[in-house]
Amino acid sequence: MHPLTLLFLIFGLPSFTALVWIFARGSAPLRRYIITRILLTVPMILILVSVVFFVLRVMPGSVVDSTLGPKATDVSRENIEDALGLNDPLYIQYFTFVADVATFDLGDSFIGARRPIKDELGERLPATIELIIPATILALGIGLVGGTAAAVRRKRPTDYAFRLYSVLIYSMPIFWLGLILRLVFSVWLGWTPIAGRIDVISNINLDRTTNMLVVDSIISGNWTALKSTLQHLILPTVTLGLVLSGVFVRLTRINVIETLQEDYIVAAEARGIRQRAVTYSYALKNAMIPVITVIGLQVAILLAGAVLTETVFSWPGMGRYLVDRISSRDFIAVQSTVAVFAIFVALISLAVDIVYSVLDPRVKY
Amino acid sequence: MQTNRRLLSLLGVVLAFTLVAAACGDDGGSNTTAAATTQAPATTQATTTAAPATTKAPETTQAPATDSSDGTTIIIGTTDSTSSLDSADAYATHDWELIRAFNEPLLRFEPGSDAKIVPGIAELPVASDDGMSWTVKLRDGLVFGDGTALTVDMAVEQLNRLLTISKDGPNQVGETLAVPYVESIEAVGSDTIKFNLLGPAGFFPQILAGAPYSIAHPDTFAAEELNLFPETPIYGLGPWVITQFVPGEQTVLEPNPNYNGDFPAQVDRIIVREFAAPDQMADAVRSGEIDIAWRLLGTEAAEELQGVDGLTVAKVESGPIRYLIINHNEFDTKDPNVRKALASLIDRDELSDVVFGGAVEPLFSAVPPGFLGSNESFETKYQSPNIDAAVAFLEAAGFSADNKLQLQLAYPPEHYGVTTADGVLLIAQQLEASGLISVEVVSQEWSTYVGACTNGEYEVCVLGWFFDFPDAENYLQPFIEGDGLGTNVLQNPATDPSLLSLLLEQRSESDLDTRASLLSDLQDVYADEVVTLPLWIEPEYIIYRDGISGDSSLDRAEALNIGPTFNFVYSVLTKTAG
Repeated sequence: MHPLTLLFLIFGLPSFTALVWIFARGSAPLRRYIITRILLTVPMILILVSVVFFVLRVMPGSVVDSTLGPKATDVSRENIEDALGLNDPLYIQYFTFVADVATFDLGDSFIGARRPIKDELGERLPATIELIIPATILALGIGLVGGTAAAVRRKRPTDYAFRLYSVLIYSMPIFWLGLILRLVFSVWLGWTPIAGRIDVISNINLDRTTNMLVVDSIISGNWTALKSTLQHLILPTVTLGLVLSGVFVRLTRINVIETLQEDYIVAAEARGIRQRAVTYSYALKNAMIPVITVIGLQVAILLAGAVLTETVFSWPGMGRYLVDRISSRDFIAVQSTVAVFAIFVALISLAVDIVYSVLDPRVKY
Repeated sequence: MQTNRRLLSLLGVVLAFTLVAAACGDDGGSNTTAAATTQAPATTQATTTAAPATTKAPETTQAPATDSSDGTTIIIGTTDSTSSLDSADAYATHDWELIRAFNEPLLRFEPGSDAKIVPGIAELPVASDDGMSWTVKLRDGLVFGDGTALTVDMAVEQLNRLLTISKDGPNQVGETLAVPYVESIEAVGSDTIKFNLLGPAGFFPQILAGAPYSIAHPDTFAAEELNLFPETPIYGLGPWVITQFVPGEQTVLEPNPNYNGDFPAQVDRIIVREFAAPDQMADAVRSGEIDIAWRLLGTEAAEELQGVDGLTVAKVESGPIRYLIINHNEFDTKDPNVRKALASLIDRDELSDVVFGGAVEPLFSAVPPGFLGSNESFETKYQSPNIDAAVAFLEAAGFSADNKLQLQLAYPPEHYGVTTADGVLLIAQQLEASGLISVEVVSQEWSTYVGACTNGEYEVCVLGWFFDFPDAENYLQPFIEGDGLGTNVLQNPATDPSLLSLLLEQRSESDLDTRASLLSDLQDVYADEVVTLPLWIEPEYIIYRDGISGDSSLDRAEALNIGPTFNFVYSVLTKTAG
């Protein structure tokens, strides 16, 4: 089974099931909202991929020259241009691309072995997902715990410490943080691997099904591979998660502070409910709503951060793939990758909006 | 609250279902990753017995320790990525290295030598009297790694892929290394292959020793279709079998049990691991994650590793060259006096010392040292820097302090590394030191730059070159014939006709001494015309950990037997517990 199909089974199917469930149980205005939101996603993605398509075509430079270098002959140049359809009119190239995206075909890569991009993404996308999920969990964990602690101990050392942390960590260049962590923990201390997703020996013995190595290790019961995969995940996850956590610390802090001043919190305290319960069960829960909204917006930043993190740690994911292909002017691969990114971000935003509408009963449609 | 619990339960059930579905999924039909293979040669010891290697390796699910300190696995790091494993359309140093490992070419360069050609799967070739054809006789008992015996018809069919289907691929190697030279390939008798050439080519054995002229397995590499990333295991006639290939991650090679050549595998496994950047590879070899760091490490990283205990940093006596393309048919540079002035002003030692801290080698001829006929024609002729001579040339061309030569010097800022800009700026300073030249430095992104430079759109531009086959021909011909990669030297009617006649004469000469003399004369004319202006050679480094060694009976063992041909032969490698 193709890894992208498996990815859909693992992530898409549960999400789709949840959407159907929410749709079935929701009010008529909510249903209208969901349908409108889904319909708006289509032109959004179309506009984005169209912009990418035309920007890449307008950019100076030739993919053929870039690939063949100074050794290109007229014959070899013509051979490649014919094979890639570069001599077709622009509108034909455009409609071919849009049709490919619509059918999830995505075409073949310009360079390298000219493999189907679907196959290349089947190898790369799971690696990126495997990186951003734990990074998001880490960022949220630090953000919620730190932000709440700062809010509860407002204007005390804990508050100052977390506020300083959030500013420092957010303003830190992600590649710099990655390099420093690698230098300290991999090179000096030798606690974590330098780069890659798994050690080379475990890689030989691991049967890949989903290309998410943690999942594959568990499925195949290969605990050595699982250990190696987790070890390799530590630094990239920490790098990406730490940088993102700054936003969540600040956001959680300010929302918890505001919520703690609400009348129902004062009433709960007056009833003698323990402070911890008031903070975590009443205040944090309500303060989470805007945080969830921001998660949707952070996905795009997360993917941008993944590009840098993957480069620093030789992580063979979508980000590194995109960087490689941009530098070699592989139009098809770049526009297809951006299309996948766009679809990914759009779907997450859609999911967040729908979850938001379910969580916050005050929202009217 | 109850609703939330139901929702979570439902999600949990669906997730569990999908994980089970994934676990039961059959990926046998998938062609998306070649990673998941456990099939390996039946034996890990190199042997000359022809046991078919179809037995499946034990299905191991528990991996051994992550390091390779058992003495049988060597991990080689590289920043190269693999673009093709099909010899009919592979055109990169790293791809050729892997192809030579599992597919021994017809001939080969002796590891560590100065391009000394020795038999590969064929005996040394014989040229016809008129130089229009070469014949090679295949070695007896050639059997692919899977037990399939090679026939001469199979071999001819495979070699013909260079002429027939290479043009369909992205790398176009046939268009460069076969179509310009070879008219046809045919079988003669039961074990001899005849190459009918389009014209005499004294350097043809050097081409035959390249990876494109290896015989691939016909079941994997069909005659009518390229197969750049075949499913593993990939069997060939070479000392190794590729048992795993994960794009962007690693390639695993294990000994070919049916190999009967001169360089059998010495260890049980070689793993070639890809890195995104040189600094990661440097850290990996320093920490012991890999045993060898090879290719594109860069001078800076190599120097940093010089003093690290347990590491050997060896410089390889070859590498890409950098030079200036000068347009001979347009601009002021069509005047030979202008070109000679430029040649007189370049201070290569200063370039090496100031920009690279002495790490690059000044290059005084179009042909680097170590190749047949190489000399130092530019040094002999110009003794640069020689400002007085340059001023005289410029004044002869009609330039003066009031009427300076306005020169455009172009370079790609990102393609050849960050030092390129420093080098170009220093060159501009050196040229302006004459007082009669004003240089405008122009930078352009590679994908635009390379076409403009080789089409002669710039007056002077920087390019790099690495040979396709290790012979002086490949350092001279591309810059002379046709449009000369932007030099347009033959389009200038004032060009010395002996430039072309010497090129053609050396090409048809099979006697090495005579050819060396002709090549030397050709380089003198080349320098006189300043066809291009050679600048420096960027050395490559190989860094390896204690316990790794090459073959001490061969040359350049300290560089793991990598000589000017850049051939890294995995079979010479041994590893002792370090």
